[in-house]
Amino acid sequence: MTYKVSVTGYATPNAAAAQAAFAQAFKITPEKAAELLTTLPRTIKVGLDADTAERYCQALAKMGLNAEHSHHDAPAAKAAPSASATVTSAAVPAAKPAAAAPEAAPPPQPRAAAEQPGFQFRIDGAPDFAFLTVQLPANHSIKVEAAAMATMDTSIRMKTKLSGGLGRLVTGESIFVNEFSADTVAGEIGIAPGAPGDLAHVYLKGGEVLFLQNGAFVACDPDVTLETKWQGFTKGFFSGESFFLIRASGTGDLWFNTYGGMIEKEVDGEYVVDTGNIVAFTEGLDYKLEKFGGYKSLFFSGEGFVCRFRGKGRVWVQTRTSGALLAWAEQYRRVGKEA
Amino acid sequence: MKIEFTHQPGNTAATLQLAQGERCTTESGAMIAMSGGLDIETTTHKRGKGGLLKAAKRLLGGESFFLNHFSARQGAGEVVLGTALAGDMMAYRVDGDALMVQAGSFVACEEGVEIDTSWQGFKNLLSGESLFWLKLSGRGQVVLSAFGAIYPIEVDGEHIVDTGHIVAFQESLDFSLTKAGKSWLHSMLGGEGLVCKFKGRGTVWCQSHNPGSFGLSLRPTLKRRK
Amino acid sequence: MQAQIRGSDAFSYLAVTLEPGESVIAESDAMSSMAADLDLQARMNGGLIAGLLRKYLAGESLFVSVFKNNTPAARSMTLVQPTPGGIRALDLHNDTFYLQPGAYLASTEGIKLGLGFAGFVSWIAGEGLFRTVVSGSGTVWYGAYGALLDKQVDGEYIVDSSHLVAYEPGIKLKLQLAGGLFSSFFGGEGLVTRVTGRGRIVVQTRSLTGLTGWINPKLR
Repeated sequence: MTYKVSVTGYATPNAAAAQAAFAQAFKITPEKAAELLTTLPRTIKVGLDADTAERYCQALAKMGLNAEHSHHDAPAAKAAPSASATVTSAAVPAAKPAAAAPEAAPPPQPRAAAEQPGFQFRIDGAPDFAFLTVQLPANHSIKVEAAAMATMDTSIRMKTKLSGGLGRLVTGESIFVNEFSADTVAGEIGIAPGAPGDLAHVYLKGGEVLFLQNGAFVACDPDVTLETKWQGFTKGFFSGESFFLIRASGTGDLWFNTYGGMIEKEVDGEYVVDTGNIVAFTEGLDYKLEKFGGYKSLFFSGEGFVCRFRGKGRVWVQTRTSGALLAWAEQYRRVGKEA
Repeated sequence: MKIEFTHQPGNTAATLQLAQGERCTTESGAMIAMSGGLDIETTTHKRGKGGLLKAAKRLLGGESFFLNHFSARQGAGEVVLGTALAGDMMAYRVDGDALMVQAGSFVACEEGVEIDTSWQGFKNLLSGESLFWLKLSGRGQVVLSAFGAIYPIEVDGEHIVDTGHIVAFQESLDFSLTKAGKSWLHSMLGGEGLVCKFKGRGTVWCQSHNPGSFGLSLRPTLKRRK
Repeated sequence: MQAQIRGSDAFSYLAVTLEPGESVIAESDAMSSMAADLDLQARMNGGLIAGLLRKYLAGESLFVSVFKNNTPAARSMTLVQPTPGGIRALDLHNDTFYLQPGAYLASTEGIKLGLGFAGFVSWIAGEGLFRTVVSGSGTVWYGAYGALLDKQVDGEYIVDSSHLVAYEPGIKLKLQLAGGLFSSFFGGEGLVTRVTGRGRIVVQTRSLTGLTGWINPKLR
């Protein structure tokens, strides 16, 4: 369990003095401090242990800033032991919290899976433009969503396969998945999904099943089976646009992407998510489509249907929906046929 | 009500923690997720304040006709909110003053905040900003969104902000349309065209990116409309 | 002059403080906010012919804006590119760097902006017939849609045509099919760029065509 520290407000009427003290303690410019402390609450440190977090809060209080610390599960920290280690191992004096400057957004730490079975990989550009680089050993291959390859070594070969069956054709997704293989020598491949957002990685152990929103698939081990699942008409409004889900099973790495930021939510009981914001969920969860609020809310709230998850499992939620982007993009489309 | 922002500044989500008995109002369509036990009500107005006329005016201000109200009657709960486009969010506490907010940037507010629409004059027709702005007053916290990162500018005198980059400004500031630099010709040739000049003392919050410019760069490869 | 890149990879923007007498050159329409008493002068970049070539062949604008501080105190301004994404600063000391069309954002006075023939390979790959050549001494700021990644190339490397942002002069571009004929057509990759030589390339982690490729099937 790790903690994060957030500045929640000013404890002194003299905001400028508090900002100056903050700037000095974190070794940043007063302008930067003012910028950071304009939008409150602002998370300034993550991945701390309880004691360190408490010391941060005390130090911030002396500067005239209200602060609090709270539990924070950083999915990134789990995958990158080196990143969290640098924070916790740094001796933190009570008065001067740390030498490292807080960032409005912490510098993206390339994530790497060291202890995981499966392929060596790293994720750069997270969380907003996450980019996946996978190291393929010789005689290994990987399945990648069509048109997602951005860079690769010249030793890697590409083959195109039909995938997903009729479902993907109906939903407008590409029915082709490319298989990239390192035939004789090892090589790397860089993968960029079309949607701007984050990437999630799951290693499926045999018997585990994950459901993905249609279109969230990025790449997987060839031993992972992807099937298109008809949800039926009652659950079919699921992703706001699709009657189909991708069912991923088998053994190996699976990567999928979000549009916008990614929230991993452990559900134990009930949780309600807007249909357009669901990215993926584990098999143990039962879900039911229901209307949002009363009938008036259903038609006028702008939310339409929501998904109520029940049981124990994990849901991946995205902080933006494609529907809103599409509505915005409409005004920029040219009209008529190509001249 | 406690506000927490995550995924800043690229794709910010705001988590509003409601204690039992608390209530908040959000823009329709902003809800991403919430705890199971919250009550939801959809109205055209804030409870007991205004009605259809205000809702119609809000429509002119680029917001939707309807507002959602979340209340934690049975126990504490959380609402997670997002916005239509990528970008950051900010919180501001209205305390007897008034904040002018660009069309589409309102996300949520506490119960004590008044939402009204304010006419900002025909200058907006030329600048491409909306003709109506939201005016937030009363007392309580508000959450606003932007396309891009948000940075404040403390104006004391005059400062120029390009059209398409204004998120909100304090009512103590006045703005007019003008040119960048001394010469109209150079402002036009330099691609800046019309810009907004803020005068007085107060804060203006800017968004780092202009959604219109981004839209135009997508235009060549977007599917044509029939 | 002080210049800071802020807003993270997602929405980088450039915050510049100009001391009295200093100036900065920026791509047309890059200014998002500035002190009201900074002077703006539109300048044709390198004369009419070079400016026209730059506009029609390299996808840049005919004019660049010169912002100058003629006041007695420091003044601030912000510059930004039209799309979300990362911005990088590059210091040049009498050397040369190639930018793909649209990547240029701003530069200091000592930087020369030129136009170089990128070869038909670049053109067929949809990257434009010409590239922006920046040379001289000073700082140049460039950016693109997506986060920016550095890759040191020694030998050969394949980059999807829409993901290349900038490269050092030691790099040459060649065009090839992504896979076999069938794969290249149906796999959505089409033509890719094979970069050869020794030097640094800068890659963008998203592309505008990738984004519209994701949006378009959902549009009616």
